[in-house]
Amino acid sequence: MPSAGSPAETLSVEVWRGRDEGRFERFSVPHRASQTVLDVVTWIQRHAEPALAYRFACRVGVCGSCAMTVNGRPRWTCRTHVSKVAADGHLRIEPLRNLPRIKDLAVDLAPFFEKWQRAQGRFTPSRTRYDGLAEVNPDAPARKAVDAGIECINCAVCYAACDVVSWDDEYLGPAALNRAWTLVNDARDADRKGVLRAASRGGGCHTCHSHGSCVEHCPVGINPTAGIAGLKRMSLLALLGRGPE
Amino acid sequence: MRIEHLDTDILILGSGGAGLFAALHAVQANPDLEVTVASKGLLGKSGCTRMVQGGYNVALDPADSLERHFMDTIVGGKWLPRQDLAWRLVEGAVERVRELENELGCFFDRNPDGSLHQKAFAGQSFDRTVHKGDLTGIEIINRLMEQVWARDIKRLEEHRAVALIPAADGSGLAGVLMVDIRTGGYRLARAKAVLLATGGGPTMYRFHTPSGDKSCDGMAMALRAGLALRDMEMVQFHPTGLLAGPDTRMTGTVLEEGLRGAGGWLLNGDGKRFMAAYDRAGERATRDVVSRSIYAEMRAGRTTSMGGVYIQMSHLGPQDVAKRFPGMVTRCADCGFDLAGGRVEVVPTAHYMMGGVEFEIDCTTALPGLFAAGEDCGGVHGANRLGGNGVANSTVFGGIAGEEMAAYVAREGAWKDPDAAALDAGIVRAERPYGLKPGDLGALRERLLGLMWDEVGILRTEVGLCRGLEGLAALEAELGETGLADGDRAFNLTWHDWLNLESQIAVSKVIATAALAREDSRGAHFREDFPLTGDLDTTRFTRVIAIDGADLALDMVPVAFTTVRPGESLIDGDAGAPQTVIP
Repeated sequence: MPSAGSPAETLSVEVWRGRDEGRFERFSVPHRASQTVLDVVTWIQRHAEPALAYRFACRVGVCGSCAMTVNGRPRWTCRTHVSKVAADGHLRIEPLRNLPRIKDLAVDLAPFFEKWQRAQGRFTPSRTRYDGLAEVNPDAPARKAVDAGIECINCAVCYAACDVVSWDDEYLGPAALNRAWTLVNDARDADRKGVLRAASRGGGCHTCHSHGSCVEHCPVGINPTAGIAGLKRMSLLALLGRGPE
Repeated sequence: MRIEHLDTDILILGSGGAGLFAALHAVQANPDLEVTVASKGLLGKSGCTRMVQGGYNVALDPADSLERHFMDTIVGGKWLPRQDLAWRLVEGAVERVRELENELGCFFDRNPDGSLHQKAFAGQSFDRTVHKGDLTGIEIINRLMEQVWARDIKRLEEHRAVALIPAADGSGLAGVLMVDIRTGGYRLARAKAVLLATGGGPTMYRFHTPSGDKSCDGMAMALRAGLALRDMEMVQFHPTGLLAGPDTRMTGTVLEEGLRGAGGWLLNGDGKRFMAAYDRAGERATRDVVSRSIYAEMRAGRTTSMGGVYIQMSHLGPQDVAKRFPGMVTRCADCGFDLAGGRVEVVPTAHYMMGGVEFEIDCTTALPGLFAAGEDCGGVHGANRLGGNGVANSTVFGGIAGEEMAAYVAREGAWKDPDAAALDAGIVRAERPYGLKPGDLGALRERLLGLMWDEVGILRTEVGLCRGLEGLAALEAELGETGLADGDRAFNLTWHDWLNLESQIAVSKVIATAALAREDSRGAHFREDFPLTGDLDTTRFTRVIAIDGADLALDMVPVAFTTVRPGESLIDGDAGAPQTVIP
């Protein structure tokens, strides 16, 4: 492992090793002009620590497998250029916050997806495969609201960034509620009332403190806080008998 | 060696479009079945369905027809597809797209009047590609994942299949030996029916597009289990993969075709446009032509500093480019490149394997109890896959497999005793690196990727393919002497890198063997020593098997023109020619 060289040529990288108990190990990694944080982690696995555990798949920011905490912030590592986060040549890489740890940099995303389901984050059909497709005006306001939130890749960066999630185990979190928001706005969904109920009971939208950490960290620019505010509003209107059909 | 045991009715290997559709359709067919999905990564997050940018081909417009979609597929596949499979694909796509929209909740882009938008895509005589912006795959897989999570379907995430284990009585498949990646332990899952849906993915080439977890494990296991692979010489290259330099995972990933369609230029290392010298259509020529042309420039040494060519968009106006291709521009920017205003280095990149396991229209294989669907399979696409037919293939046949497996389990499903010798052999194989002196696995991988790129890549010759086969034999021997330190096996990616290499080398040998046998050029396969396409009427496909799991044997099998013969057509006008100019 190269240890000589100026800071410009070498990155000093601290990596979490272990599970809940563990330590940071320091590695010197060659700095390159084109280099993402995932490339740094890969270099360590390939050249310095073969047993280093981390997760990645698509390499281009569509699968959401490779999120980690980088210098204190949750990020996709595959699309985070080193120069953006390590101006001083130093990186500290840890597993995502708010999720059970498996080993080193890999966490268990099951609780995140279980909460997605608890928010009824799934479509309820009103038609079948034997029917034609619904006519949907792409410019209708409800449809626009769906479009604004639908490109979530469930990477859990928002979930790791959210302080309310870290205080309150029951809180469903920004991604699950964002999905619920897209469903209550989807005219094709046959159980929008059910989604609203699931998303507004204990641990649901009313638990959000609107800190906006999710908005600040979402790698695809989604605004879950706005969707959650929409759910809050809609659940209050539902009490007045003016909720979704 | 300690092995955990598990019995399930249906075991599905892979959680892309094929695997998840199979799971849903199996439990829809019979809710009492226990269905288990095993995935090398996280459910729905590994594999390539999620990465689909283009869209989903389906003949829905009254002016379009199944016949037209079928003819485009056959002509695009250079008469090599198995015609009954191609017909099942185009027919099944109609129902499947409706299911995706109506039952799973995918929302595909609409026209202003609320009807479905279908866009033009290369090689098709009708604008039939259904899409969600340029992130169609995310929409499809997210909606599938939610439905699978919502049901009582068992998940074995981060489980890597290492061997198909036959029944002791020789009656078919008993189950699958896996490594639980998280613990590093072994798990034998017995199942009454198993689906192979791990996806192909030509990741053994220096530049490649698929998800980084793919390594042709499914095809390698099938080969070892005695199944035949067909059309394996047919590896599709995409012309413009990002070139980001050594040790970058991003290298090879796709910069979309629309960039060239919109008027993007390709420039060689001297900064000169070169496509016009190769094809009248210039940068807008088809994928295979552009890939070969770029490769020829590279071979002539007219390259950029990193060894590729440039793509330039800035003459179209950087702001317009940023607006029109936000995904691509941001992706490049994240890696430090300015696609809108500057030049980005690109190379052709291995994208998709048209070949794979021979399977039947009901997704059965020659091994009773083993079903197959998706990119693990060969015969649907022939010599070339149309953009938009890939996700149609995985979802159509995945759904069929789910129904057929449920029926099979009801009819003749039973848990079988596994063949003890096969189980032992599977474990011995997976254990091999731990008994060997640690070596430089990374260097071995680089050499495999380089060898396949140089000798079994875009332009092929007999001499080069023979060098390739010799090199692969040498690499295989070397891998057999390269080990890794034992100790912490939990989530040990380097162990899996070793196993990946073993699968990749096994399948690379099949690709090279088939490429050497095909002495003509068609579709994705180009032989410089046989540059012309052979007689279509006597078209034959390659079929490779491994005798006793080792030595390869190849047959050239005549294609049965069951629906239409070369020279005939089911439609008026030309198949394969775009109806409108691709934007």
